[in-house]
Amino acid sequence: MEVRINTEKDLTTVFLSGRLDTPSSQEVAAKLESLQDKASGTIVLDCSELKYISSSGLRIFLSLRKAAAAQGGKVIVKDINDDIRNVFMMTGFLNLFEIR
Amino acid sequence: MKLKTIFDKRLIKQSARAGLLLVVVAALTLEATSLIQYFYARHGLKEECTRRAESELEATKFQIMDIINQAESAVRNSAWIAAWSLDYPDSMSAVTRRVVEQNEVVMGSALALVPGYMKDHELCCPYAYEAGNGLQLFSLATPEYDYPSKEWFTKPVEQGSGYWSEPYLDTGGGGLLMTTYSLPITDRSGKIAAVLTADISLDWLTSLVEDIEVFPEAFSMMISRQGEIMVCPAETLVMRSNVAEASSLVEDTTINRLNRSMLAGESGSMPIRFNGKVNHVFFAPVERTGWSMSIVVPETEIYGELSRMSLLVTLLQILGLAMLVLILRSVIKNSLKYKELNDRKERIENELRIGRGIQMSMVPKIFPPFPERHDIDISATLHPAKEVGGDLYDFHIRDEKLFFCIGDVSGKGIPASLVMAVTRSLFRTVSAHENGPKRIVTSMNESMADMNENNMFVTFFCGTLELSSGHLRYCNAGHNAPLLFANDSIQHLPVVPNLPLGIIPGMEYQEQEIDLDHDDALFLYTDGVTEAENVSHELFGEERLQEVLSYRRSAQEHLQAVSDAVSEFVKEAPQSDDITMLFLHYLNANKQSVKQRHLVIHNKIEEISKLAGFVEAVAGDAKIDSSLALNLNLALEEAVTNVVMYAYTDGADGPVEIDAAVRPGEIVFTVSDTGKAFDPTAAPEVDITKSADERKIGGLGIHLVRKLMDDVTYKRENAKNVLTMTKKI
Repeated sequence: MEVRINTEKDLTTVFLSGRLDTPSSQEVAAKLESLQDKASGTIVLDCSELKYISSSGLRIFLSLRKAAAAQGGKVIVKDINDDIRNVFMMTGFLNLFEIR
Repeated sequence: MKLKTIFDKRLIKQSARAGLLLVVVAALTLEATSLIQYFYARHGLKEECTRRAESELEATKFQIMDIINQAESAVRNSAWIAAWSLDYPDSMSAVTRRVVEQNEVVMGSALALVPGYMKDHELCCPYAYEAGNGLQLFSLATPEYDYPSKEWFTKPVEQGSGYWSEPYLDTGGGGLLMTTYSLPITDRSGKIAAVLTADISLDWLTSLVEDIEVFPEAFSMMISRQGEIMVCPAETLVMRSNVAEASSLVEDTTINRLNRSMLAGESGSMPIRFNGKVNHVFFAPVERTGWSMSIVVPETEIYGELSRMSLLVTLLQILGLAMLVLILRSVIKNSLKYKELNDRKERIENELRIGRGIQMSMVPKIFPPFPERHDIDISATLHPAKEVGGDLYDFHIRDEKLFFCIGDVSGKGIPASLVMAVTRSLFRTVSAHENGPKRIVTSMNESMADMNENNMFVTFFCGTLELSSGHLRYCNAGHNAPLLFANDSIQHLPVVPNLPLGIIPGMEYQEQEIDLDHDDALFLYTDGVTEAENVSHELFGEERLQEVLSYRRSAQEHLQAVSDAVSEFVKEAPQSDDITMLFLHYLNANKQSVKQRHLVIHNKIEEISKLAGFVEAVAGDAKIDSSLALNLNLALEEAVTNVVMYAYTDGADGPVEIDAAVRPGEIVFTVSDTGKAFDPTAAPEVDITKSADERKIGGLGIHLVRKLMDDVTYKRENAKNVLTMTKKI
């Protein structure tokens, strides 16, 4: 699992690659910890290389979403594949995020 | 039969009519050709004849003129001396003598004085005559002769020019045919004073004219100015008959026209019919003499060769036409015979077709035969090499038991097909009450051996399959071993050969047995499959057969594939033996195989990573796609994560056991642990319609498990939490 964070002014892009399963969610959660406090801008979660996501991964997405909502920012989920889109649908996440 | 006779008669009539037409057309064509040829040839022959006759006439005339000229010259050359002699009447005799002596053609010569010219010589006519023994001189001035009245004297005096007399027979000499040329002699004042003559013999003329030979049968004639016949093959007529008299005997009146033309000194040709024959007369005048010469050619002479040739050609044509008629007759006869043979062949073929229909109706032909059953997929085909064959198969279900058989009668064609019918009926009859294959085969062998007078036998394989258990009992009677599909391999079903049916009465047949598992299959066939030959006489063979059968297909598809492969192999080579196959696929849900996998991990989060590989292996067993595999992975991960996080308290170490079972139609995961009792399925449903603010972070795991799997059950047993998740595939 690979995570890259790129911040430019108000726009933060998080590039996620590989399998976001329970073990890897722990590291990813740690890496994104810092974003929780400065979620006033726009956070783009680039999922173009994300192959798999489990509920622990979804939790990270949801907590970021909550933080952003609290700080007046927004979270955009970009380029999810069909399998992940299916998981989003089953969990109601399609309605929670701006999906691009 | 009646209709056929009428039809045949009509056919004969039509053929005969066509034949007749052919003969008539051939005859007309031949006749027209030879007519054209005949007329051209005739025309050519006529022209040739005319040409020859004209040239002969011309040549003869030329020779005559030569002599005529000599005679005329003789007289003319002596004219001056004759004129001179008038002054000296005594010398007149010498002039005549000189004319005779100096000219060989001249036989006699006279110098006749015009009466009254001289006062003292009222009449004077000395005459010199060559009489064989010497020249004789005498005078023609006698009262009896009275020369001034003679034509030879009067004509030249009247005309004042030379004159050829009418031919005459010499009465003084040897009766020779003679003619005389007379020339008037004038004195100095230009007055006609005398006539000088030269007599010439026409003996040569006869031979000259008679020698004209245009055709062997042709003859020549010559007539004088007056129509006196001078030369003629009928010597009695010469100088005795006038042509007008002679012509009166001729029935064809055209001859009068001919006579007129000839007397008028014309030349030409004319056909005259006399003596019952047509003759072509070619005629031409001899100038100065007033004679007319003719050549008479009988038409048969001109066209004789042509007529003979025409006759020959006509005979050949008749012969050819007769042969044509004979040939046509035999062709028509043969075609009728051929038609009869063809009719017979057609009748036999028709009967064979019906026979084939009957034979085909004796074996089950509707596939799938048991559409309501899911435990057996069976299909069979039979392709006789000829219209009818000696192969057979049969099957039926009685008391939840499948009875099936395949057989191959020795020999081919109709005899084999009759034995096939008997065999199949026996199988039906016997298998209706006998349960074991050994008893069926034995009983059939007894019946067949008893009535086997023609030493025909049947290789036969008979089996009974208990559909509930897969227990197969079988008995082989000399047939080739079927192929058994089991444990992912193809091998021959072990068989005791025994002996074919119908050979030995009382033969002890051995029965064998085997248990079929779910998905096992049997392929029964006759040697027509493996011994199918291509044009290079190679056999299809066992190896190719097994290769074709190595793919997973339905029973019907298997048979089609083998049929196609055999056809592809033999190509245009003729099918040499009957080809019969039966494929039997046993499917028993109760006996189906289950693929199981087992994984134990510790209750550590890192251990969860092992699940991905495990699920991948299960997905391989179940042959499912990657999306479904990912979903199963997610469901299993959520279930296991739940256990890892919550089952064991206070960080205690504990195992999580994961079992996967792949069965037809479903995949079942079981997750069990020895931790505290916890039923994840009891957790409340997550409301996914809530907004982000209202949504709780947790509870998504079990929600996903429920969503992804078809059935999720929890039970606590033997101090274990057991979560069973089923996914239908």
